[in-house]
Amino acid sequence: MNGDGRGTPDPEPIGRIPPYLRAQPSGAAPVGPPNRDATTDRSATLRPFVLTSGRVNAVDPEIDVETQVTLRPHDPRVGRVPLGSLGPEMQAMVALCGQPISVAEISARLRLHLGVTKILVADLRAAGYLDVHVADTLSPVSADTILRVMHGLRALS
Amino acid sequence: MAYALFPDTPTKRPPVPVKIIVAGGFGVGKTTTVRSISEIAPLTTEAEMTSVAIGVDEPRAESHKTTTTVAMDFGCVTIDETLKLYLFGTPGQDRFGFMWDDICLGALGAVVLVDPRRITDSFPGIDYFEANAIPFVIGVNVFDGAPRYPTPEIREALGVAHDTPIVECDARNKDSVKMVLLTLLESLVAKAQARAHMR
Repeated sequence: MNGDGRGTPDPEPIGRIPPYLRAQPSGAAPVGPPNRDATTDRSATLRPFVLTSGRVNAVDPEIDVETQVTLRPHDPRVGRVPLGSLGPEMQAMVALCGQPISVAEISARLRLHLGVTKILVADLRAAGYLDVHVADTLSPVSADTILRVMHGLRALS
Repeated sequence: MAYALFPDTPTKRPPVPVKIIVAGGFGVGKTTTVRSISEIAPLTTEAEMTSVAIGVDEPRAESHKTTTTVAMDFGCVTIDETLKLYLFGTPGQDRFGFMWDDICLGALGAVVLVDPRRITDSFPGIDYFEANAIPFVIGVNVFDGAPRYPTPEIREALGVAHDTPIVECDARNKDSVKMVLLTLLESLVAKAQARAHMR
């Protein structure tokens, strides 16, 4: 983490991405598909919660391991941070979410700690990139849903 | 809903996820169970868990909580376009109980795998699900060449309630794993229907 940006006002309005989660401002920010190898290498060598600047509690407690995440369709009327200015982990997350995917799967595929994944997913939701489909975990699942799961399991060959 | 706002970028509505927890001692076959039924090769994620020292002579367990990073395996089964089943294997440790709240919240129920030769390894799982009122079934994993015991003996050794289903299974066999999951789900249907009638 280099120190620039600290204390100096940021010229461009950058949504709600905290400064420590942005890509390093020096040099050209990576645009387009992020480099997966770089992501995993970095994750493997850093202590997990460095990526969240030490935050260990997910800001959205309703984000569960099985919670489904999708790309949020871009509304041009709502400004958002350019993808290239996000950190590589966050860019990789956005790239993964073209199809609905669970938080656990994002964590496994990017080799990011589950707690870190939850925090970054919440940040990307706040930044307007992802939709998080929170299930109602408090009310019990209906008999109808359970019967459908049974039916689906029986149909497996 | 937000999906219809921008018809040029169609986003498929994601399936509703339901999950079942697979618990049991180290090496009892949790990952094998997940692998047998999952449509993807089991994935591993690392999670923070609070481990609790277990011991009847330890009245102040609170002071023995430590946080550990543990590996957790999971897989999934697509039921249909709108419903997806996830299976999470809880990390197994012989001497520690883990706080699995993050993983277990909202779970349909759990399978506790038991190795009859190391029956006490399954106690942390049973204790956890009983304490948190999460419905579970016991899957007695039949290991090649290992002695087999009648169900009443296993039930007595485990000390589980008479209405907790106990089934023998082979974690390597898909149909066998299916049968264990169906046993759990059948017991849940009865409960859910009883609940619906009470309203």
